[in-house]
Amino acid sequence: MTTGSVTTEGLTKSFGGVRAVDGASVAFHDGEINALIGPNGSGKTTFFNCVTGMIRPDAGTVAYAGRDVTGLAPHRIARAGIGRSFQLCRVFPRLTVLENVLVAVQPHGLLQRLRGMRNPDDVARARELLARVGIDHLEHAEARDISYGQQKLLELAGVLMGDPHTIMLDEPAGGVNPALVDRIADLVRELNAEGRTFIIVEHNMELVMGLSDHVVVFDRGRPIAQGTPAVVQDDPQVLEAYLGV
Amino acid sequence: MPNASSATRPSGPSPARVLRIGGLLALAAVVLLFPSLAPDPFILSVGVVILSYAVLATSWNLVGGFTGYISLGHAAYSGLGGYATALLILRSGLNPWLALLVGALIVALIAIPVGIASLRVRGASFVIVSIALVLILQLTFQSWHTFTGGSGGLRVPRPFGPDVLRPEQHERFFYLHAVLLTLALLTWWLIERSRLGAGLKAIREDEDKAQALGVPTFAYKLTALVTSAFFTALGGGLYALWFGYLDPIFQFSILVGTYMVLMSLLGGVRSLFGPLLGAVVVGYAVEVFKSQYGDTQFHLVATGILLGLVVLFMPDGVIPAVTSFLNRRRRAASIREVSAEELARQRADKQREEATR
Repeated sequence: MTTGSVTTEGLTKSFGGVRAVDGASVAFHDGEINALIGPNGSGKTTFFNCVTGMIRPDAGTVAYAGRDVTGLAPHRIARAGIGRSFQLCRVFPRLTVLENVLVAVQPHGLLQRLRGMRNPDDVARARELLARVGIDHLEHAEARDISYGQQKLLELAGVLMGDPHTIMLDEPAGGVNPALVDRIADLVRELNAEGRTFIIVEHNMELVMGLSDHVVVFDRGRPIAQGTPAVVQDDPQVLEAYLGV
Repeated sequence: MPNASSATRPSGPSPARVLRIGGLLALAAVVLLFPSLAPDPFILSVGVVILSYAVLATSWNLVGGFTGYISLGHAAYSGLGGYATALLILRSGLNPWLALLVGALIVALIAIPVGIASLRVRGASFVIVSIALVLILQLTFQSWHTFTGGSGGLRVPRPFGPDVLRPEQHERFFYLHAVLLTLALLTWWLIERSRLGAGLKAIREDEDKAQALGVPTFAYKLTALVTSAFFTALGGGLYALWFGYLDPIFQFSILVGTYMVLMSLLGGVRSLFGPLLGAVVVGYAVEVFKSQYGDTQFHLVATGILLGLVVLFMPDGVIPAVTSFLNRRRRAASIREVSAEELARQRADKQREEATR
């Protein structure tokens, strides 16, 4: 399966005089765990934001499952099947853990939207997802009261509530303890085995090399290498970008 | 986790639910009995003013409380509602009650382009845009003598015949305001528990994140603003029918919009009855200061101090502050305590696990 679930052509985005993303053409592999790595400031998060519609790119296109999604509003991209987490983890602090997950149920139609958010079907599914990530015992707590690691798991549960085919995670292992990193990695593997595609930005090399099927290396806003973890690890350009030799 | 179910709430009528329903009935009884308990028509008219404030603040909270977009210019919608009602009666000869409804619908329509323009910006920018709208309307309505009566004001015909005396006018308008307040509260309550409400609250907490989860944020914000404008206009129109006179200076005043914000913040923007409570406190205080100190600006100083105190000591408003105080007093399982217990238990479990290893 290498049809490319998310494909970009010449994607470009500048801030002031800085080209954060500079003509990036990338084809991620559908059905696989893709990793996006690169030194700090290499444009990974900006690239993420362009793909998910948070930022409108200056030039280039983003295609998803064969459809041009460039410049669509984030909620439309979410509805097209791309879910995402945020760097440094973002939850709704004053909503309960359960409500945080229920927010992601936003079907079409005014009547559907005026339905109670706590209808049994949605609540049951939300609880299932909370149980899956292991924080169902906290469902009535406000999200600001749970730990950072638990917030990361909550964010993942919220993303899953939208049932996305492709999940983009921005530094899922950032700032969490090693035991939780393992748990998150296991969850990613499980979800991938169920057919979900992952695109993960991550600095934890051990995690990236152990988890991913396909690695894309970014430097100065564009991909400089891609392939299996083994291939990428030995690429001289990658070593140069990372070590500056 | 063997005790995972301990966090779920018991079903059936819990004491909190009984308390809540009892409180609602008591509140309804107080409102219904107020006109017959009021010692004189002046007190009754103060009651009408306070209910009118409550309608406006609750309507404001439909956008302010849900989305966190603080509009200081909601007087635009109440003022337009008042003028639309009056002008529809005067110029089109419409039945006053029909004029009230049609006027509010027109204001809701006007709110659509206003929302499309202003909801693109967040935070301070949105506040400033909302103020600008009021000032523009004030100038327009002051200058457009031939249509609005200009700065000389506009007399609004009474909806009830000349045989209905003042005290009875007050009583009827008191109940009419109570009905409108009930409708606004009911709307807030319905939205609060809906998927739309979940999306709106998510916008208040983190708009980008909400969008990434599939919430059509712009459409939701606009829906909230238009609904809010509609009810605010009904409030302004009903007040105009009661008061019988409109002056651009008072209709399109920053102060009216500021009161709506102050009342909502005081009671608590996340609570259904927050704005109502705030309206009772602030409305009563304003009337007392006006009657004690006449036309001085003393009531402004007082409300300023009140706002400062609330923001300092009860940033979430009176209702959340009191609720959490009561929860702590009752030692009942508040959310924080449950999670603290859970954590303690988890820690104990872990220690036991490590000890047995």
